[in-house]
Amino acid sequence: MALLEINGIDIAYGKQVTVKDCTITLDQAEICSIVGESGSGKTTVIRAVLGLLPGGGKVTKGDIIYDGRSLLSLNAREWRKLRGHDVSMIFQDSGAMMNQTRLIGKSFVEYIRTHEKISKKDAWKKGAEMLGRMRLPDPDRIMHSYPFQLSGGMRQRVGIAMGMTYEPKLLLADEPTSALDVTTQAQIVRQMMELRDEYGTSIIIVTHDIGVASYMGDKIVVMKNGQIEDQGGRKHILEESSNEYTRKLIGAVPSLGGKRYV
Amino acid sequence: MFDEKDVLLEAKHVTRRFPAQGGRELIACNDINLKLYKGKTLGLVGESGCGKSTFMRFLVWLDRPTEGEVIYQGKDITKLKGRELHEMRQHIQMVFQDPSTSFNPKMKIRDIVCEPLLNYGRIRHSQKDQKARELLEMVELPGDFADRFPHNMSGGQRQRVAIARALALEPEIIIMDEATSALDVSVQETIIELVTKLQKEKNITIGFICHNLGFIQSFSHQIAVMYLGNIVEVMPGENMAKICCHPYSKALLDAVFDTKMDFSKKIDPIKGEPPSPLNVPPGCPFQDRCDKCAAICREKRPHLQELSPGHEVACHLFSKEGSV
Repeated sequence: MALLEINGIDIAYGKQVTVKDCTITLDQAEICSIVGESGSGKTTVIRAVLGLLPGGGKVTKGDIIYDGRSLLSLNAREWRKLRGHDVSMIFQDSGAMMNQTRLIGKSFVEYIRTHEKISKKDAWKKGAEMLGRMRLPDPDRIMHSYPFQLSGGMRQRVGIAMGMTYEPKLLLADEPTSALDVTTQAQIVRQMMELRDEYGTSIIIVTHDIGVASYMGDKIVVMKNGQIEDQGGRKHILEESSNEYTRKLIGAVPSLGGKRYV
Repeated sequence: MFDEKDVLLEAKHVTRRFPAQGGRELIACNDINLKLYKGKTLGLVGESGCGKSTFMRFLVWLDRPTEGEVIYQGKDITKLKGRELHEMRQHIQMVFQDPSTSFNPKMKIRDIVCEPLLNYGRIRHSQKDQKARELLEMVELPGDFADRFPHNMSGGQRQRVAIARALALEPEIIIMDEATSALDVSVQETIIELVTKLQKEKNITIGFICHNLGFIQSFSHQIAVMYLGNIVEVMPGENMAKICCHPYSKALLDAVFDTKMDFSKKIDPIKGEPPSPLNVPPGCPFQDRCDKCAAICREKRPHLQELSPGHEVACHLFSKEGSV
């Protein structure tokens, strides 16, 4: 049985329907990339999975089934149990989700103590251990730093470590590498691939970098104007698909040894 | 391919130091020598904070180097002042990264693209309508856009307006500071097509900053790779993937994800992050992240050496004095 099934959902802000008839299924340990231009509704879809649609956003049609139960009927308590435990999310800039005036360690402790009954001391230890497991150098120093003292790539890896604390079955990543340099981007991509190999985590990654999407994704979903334009395996999307928009999008990706304009 | 008599602008031993806390110094650009050739594109790549924007800012006189000179039309433009500087500016124009913040939101597109022309007294106010239309059509936008405000346009359209504004004075050189980074790939492609077309028509020289080596090689005649304020490799844009040899350039190249890559290949990114430019180690700036680092790299700083015409590299591995 699939881990996550998004069944023909419509998402509307007020009367404005922004995502229409979106269907995606995801198996255990599968990575799905959602690509598309800005404003195509790709972030809206994964936000809906975690029930995090911003003000007024609502799923008006269809259903989201996670592990056999519908997510749309959950109440606030059930949501809280799910988020962070079973499903977690990485944002574009993980530094921004943390309180700038508190040590990373303190934010981490708070996060851990929301999810389990544990003393502050143990929670601190658990946090530092988690950073170490994600191969961050010098976990103690990071726990004692403020978010602004770390570089963008480092913050992103702390974000991933926090998201992975409870080894969620599903990880949602919203443009996790867009704000980073190419070299740091490669580090983050590699780390996310390792999560799948080591923990069997399923990942949905939203990105506009088609190169990253095709490297990571077993399955690629192409979105345009709030609708799924095309979806399928990597080979299908990159080579076989006859969809005009997909072809255009793939053709626009600059590649080494590819088209030269001069 | 590059002829010495086509050198349009030359930066010689340009160094920029910023004062930092505790009496220390931050060296943003360290002894940079680069040449821009007539009608060619120079691509400058590197990670954030490596000083690539700082360098390009000298060329448009938004900043002045601490040492060194920038020669254009036989004059050192870093020393110009007043009227002379004003005159010089019309030959070198700039396009910025974020098109939504590089315009005055309260000005109409017509006023935006005609402002440089009015500043230099090239047109009269009565000619604005017609000139704006011409400029917009040059960048393949409908002439009616002249009545719009910047916020009424998409990112790609705004970037076209920025290009129209930079080209209004018919400059010899345009500097583009990550001009396509904020745009979607499909829009990015159309902008580059436009820029290269205009370059051929008007024989413009372009200085382009970017951090994606895969993208920049598709339209550059010459590529310079920068790391921690130093130029580590200069090479021709053609066949760049084959000839690049500095370990850092190779690492940048490996970090590029594209749709034709081998997907089963495990990516092996270089470790860590560049050290703070406040304490650059003696010797090669790349030593701590380089897997071919030898004893000499920790002691002696490598200088650019020519491997073949137009291809220079600063690395002890390729040093003519031989042994590493």
